[in-house]
Amino acid sequence: MHEISTQLVPLADFDKIRRAEGFERISSEYPTYLTDESKLSPEPFDYLFFPMDEAELAAIFKQMSARDIQVTIAGARTGLVGGCVPPKGALVSLENFDRVRTVTYDRNAGQWQVTCQCAVNLRSLGTQIASKNFPDVARCGDSAALNSLKRFKEDPANYFYPPDPTEMSASIGGTVATNASGARTYRYGPTRDWIRGIRVMLSNGELLSIPRGKYFASPEGEFTVIDSKGNDLRIKLPTYRMPKTKNTAGFFAKPRMDLIDLFIGSEGSFGVITEVTAALLKRTEKISLVQFLGSDQQALELVDTLRNDTRIQLDFLEFYSGNALDLLRQRQLEDPKSVDMPPIPERAGAALFFEFSFDAMADRLDYAALEETITSCGASVSDSWAAYENRELQRLKNFRHILPETINAIIAERKKQYPQLHKLGTDLAVPDERLRDMWQIYKHTLETAGLEWVAFGHIGNNHIHINILPRNVVELQKGLKLYEQFAIKAVEFGGTVSAEHGIGKMKIKFLELMYSQDQLNEMRAVKLALDPENLLNPGNIFCD
Amino acid sequence: MKIVVCVKQVPEITDVKVNPETGTLVREGVTSILNPFCEYALDHAVRLKSAHKETQIIAITMGPPQARTALFRCLELGTDRALLVSDRKFAGADTWATALTLAAAIKAAVPDFNLILMGKQAIDGDTAQVGPELAEILSLPQITYGVEMQLTANKKRIRVKRESENGYEVLEARMPAVVSASKGELIRRMPSFEDVLSARAKDLCTISAADLDLDETELGLQGSFTQVVNVFPPAQKIGGTKLEGLEPEVAARRIAAYLRDQKFI
Repeated sequence: MHEISTQLVPLADFDKIRRAEGFERISSEYPTYLTDESKLSPEPFDYLFFPMDEAELAAIFKQMSARDIQVTIAGARTGLVGGCVPPKGALVSLENFDRVRTVTYDRNAGQWQVTCQCAVNLRSLGTQIASKNFPDVARCGDSAALNSLKRFKEDPANYFYPPDPTEMSASIGGTVATNASGARTYRYGPTRDWIRGIRVMLSNGELLSIPRGKYFASPEGEFTVIDSKGNDLRIKLPTYRMPKTKNTAGFFAKPRMDLIDLFIGSEGSFGVITEVTAALLKRTEKISLVQFLGSDQQALELVDTLRNDTRIQLDFLEFYSGNALDLLRQRQLEDPKSVDMPPIPERAGAALFFEFSFDAMADRLDYAALEETITSCGASVSDSWAAYENRELQRLKNFRHILPETINAIIAERKKQYPQLHKLGTDLAVPDERLRDMWQIYKHTLETAGLEWVAFGHIGNNHIHINILPRNVVELQKGLKLYEQFAIKAVEFGGTVSAEHGIGKMKIKFLELMYSQDQLNEMRAVKLALDPENLLNPGNIFCD
Repeated sequence: MKIVVCVKQVPEITDVKVNPETGTLVREGVTSILNPFCEYALDHAVRLKSAHKETQIIAITMGPPQARTALFRCLELGTDRALLVSDRKFAGADTWATALTLAAAIKAAVPDFNLILMGKQAIDGDTAQVGPELAEILSLPQITYGVEMQLTANKKRIRVKRESENGYEVLEARMPAVVSASKGELIRRMPSFEDVLSARAKDLCTISAADLDLDETELGLQGSFTQVVNVFPPAQKIGGTKLEGLEPEVAARRIAAYLRDQKFI
C-alpha cells in the first residue's frame, strides 16, 4: 500500500499557548534557545513556542502558515549542524512532549517495544528500561498499558534500546529525525533499524500515523498522502542510490521503500515527529577492551582482521590514533585524576576500543579466536585494558569522552587569542575497502600541511573523526580547505559527507558535493510535496 | 613474603535499598563488585610485590558461592591465589564472627603469612570493624587508614603513611601486622584482557566450616555478639517537587512562580 490518509487534530486555542514574543525578550530570557551544540548564531526571530500537545502544535502551524511565518523545530538542541537554530520566524520547542506512553510486547515481531513522546531523552529512556520503572505509564496508563507494564516487569530478562549516540541528553524524536548513530551502530545499525512506528505532524497541522511495514512505495517510486479535504499529495521519491556506508546526508530513498524511512533522517524537512515506537533488545553481559597497538597502521590491520573473522562478534569498534593517545598522555601527566586510568603504555602508538559478550561468572573463558586475531597482527592481549563491571565499563566510556573534551578545552584556550577559531571535526565515512586509502590521504595531507590533528571514532564503520586543532586563523583556513578536499575524496570513494551529524545549516555545501543538481531537485520536490509552503525548518538541507 | 588481602563483595550501588518489611538489603537486580577499599588494599599488595619480587599475594573472602566473582577480580588484578571461605554455617555472621572465621581460615590456609591487608571498611556496612577485630584475634599490631606502604630495609617492619583527622602520620609496625587501606591518591588499576583470561586458571579453593579450628557455636549467627534488628533508610522528606530536564531559565521561572504563589516573595 502506498497511499496513506492523514488524521485531523482538534486545534487548541492559539492564544493560550505558552510563548515568548520578540527577539529581545527571547534573547534575554531564553538565551539557551538561540543555538544548539553547533554554537551557530541565529538571525533575529520573533516567536518562541512551548506547545503542550499535538493540538497546540497544530494550532501553531495553522497560525504561522496563515501569517506566512516559517517555523524551526527544536528538540533537545544537541545537534552539531545548526538544525534547530532559527534563521527567522518562529522557534517551536517540543520539550513538553516528554511522556512515555506504553511498553508493549509485539507478538509478530517477538519483541518488547516502547512508545514515547518525542522529547523523552535517551538517558531517561535508558534508565526507565533498565529499571523497568516507567512512572508516566504507572501514573497515566490505561488498564491495557498497566497490564502490559506488569508483564514487562515479570519478564526475567533485562532489555535496552540499542542506538547509542554519544549524547544521551538527545531527545528520541531528534535522534529519529536525524537517524542518529554512534559506536554501537557497528553491530546494531543506526536509529532507523530500531524504529517500529512514528506519529508525524505535517505542516498543514494534520497527523500521519506510520507503523513500519504497512506503507511501501509504489513500483513507480511514489507515495500518496490524502489529506482531510481529500487532496492527494503525491510524493515522487528521489532516484539516487544511497552510499554503502552509514549516512545522514540526503533523504532516504530506495525502490519499494517503507514510508517510515522517508521521515527517519529527513531532519524534520517535511514533518515533525511527535511520537516514536522503538524496539528493545535483550541485554547480555559485555566486556570492553582498549587494545593498545604499535602504530596506526597496525590498528588498521587489526580492524580488517576483526571485521573479517566470523567467529568474533563485536558490538562496537572504535579508534584512537597515535597522536590522540599522545594528547591523552599529556593530560594524564598534567592531571592524572581527571583521566582516572592507569598510565597509557609508553609503547602504544594507537588503540582500538571494542566490546563483546562475556560471562563474568564462568570458570573458564574461551576467547582463543580473539586472542589469535590480536596476536596475528603483532599485538598482545597483555597490552590492553579490560572492563566488565558497570563502573569499569563507565570508566572506559569516560576515557573515550575525555579526548573530545580535551580538544574542546585546547580550542577554547586558543580562542582567547583568536576568537574566530573553532574545532574542525570531520564526519566522513567510506566503504570498507576504502578505509586504508582514506586514512593514507588524511595522514599524508595533514602531516604535509603541518597542522595539529588527532583521529578517533567509529573505525568499524570506516567513520573516523579527524579533528584539526588550528593554532591560528591561517591554519583554520587551511584546515577548512582540507576538510573540503577530504569530503570530495570520500564521495569519490563511494562514501558520504555526513555519516552521523546530518546536514542542517552547516553542511549544505558538502551535500552539494555528494548529489547532483538534479538529485538535489528531486529531494526538494519531496519537501515541497509534503510542505508546499516551505513552512518547516527553513534553511536546513536546502539554501532557503 | 606472603601477603593476605581480605576482601568483601558488595552491591555496586551506593544507595542501598532496604526491604521495609524484612529489614534486609534488597539485592535483586543489583550487581556485585569487589569493595573499592579492598581493591586499594590489593593495589598496595601489588606495589609491594613489584618492589619485592618473591612476594606471594593471597586473597581471601568470606561469603556465598557467588562471592567467587570478587575473587576473580582479585586474581585479575595481581593476586596469585584465592580462598573462598563459604559455608551455610557462616550465614548471619556479625563483624566479630566474620573476623574470627577469617582469622581461623588464614591460620589454616596461610599459617606463614607476613602481612594482612584489608580495605578500611566496606561500602555497604561501613562498620570498619573487621580489620581491627582480626588484628586483636590474631594478636597482631595494626595500622588503619593507610595510603602509602613500604617495607623497611630489613623487611621485618612495614612503614605506613596513614590518614588522620589533621593530616598524615607515618607509623611503623613489626610484621606480621594488619594494615587497612584508604583511597589516598591511588588511581584504580585496570586489568589487561590477558589478566582476565588467566585469572580463571589460577588457584581458587573453598574453605568450609569443617576446615577450621572453630566450634560451631563460634560461627555465623550463633557466634555473633550483635544482631541486626532492623535496617531502615532515613525518613524521606515528602511532598517536594523536582524540576528535571528543564533549561535553567525555564526552571528558574517556575521556581519564581511557585515562590510567588506561596507568598514567599
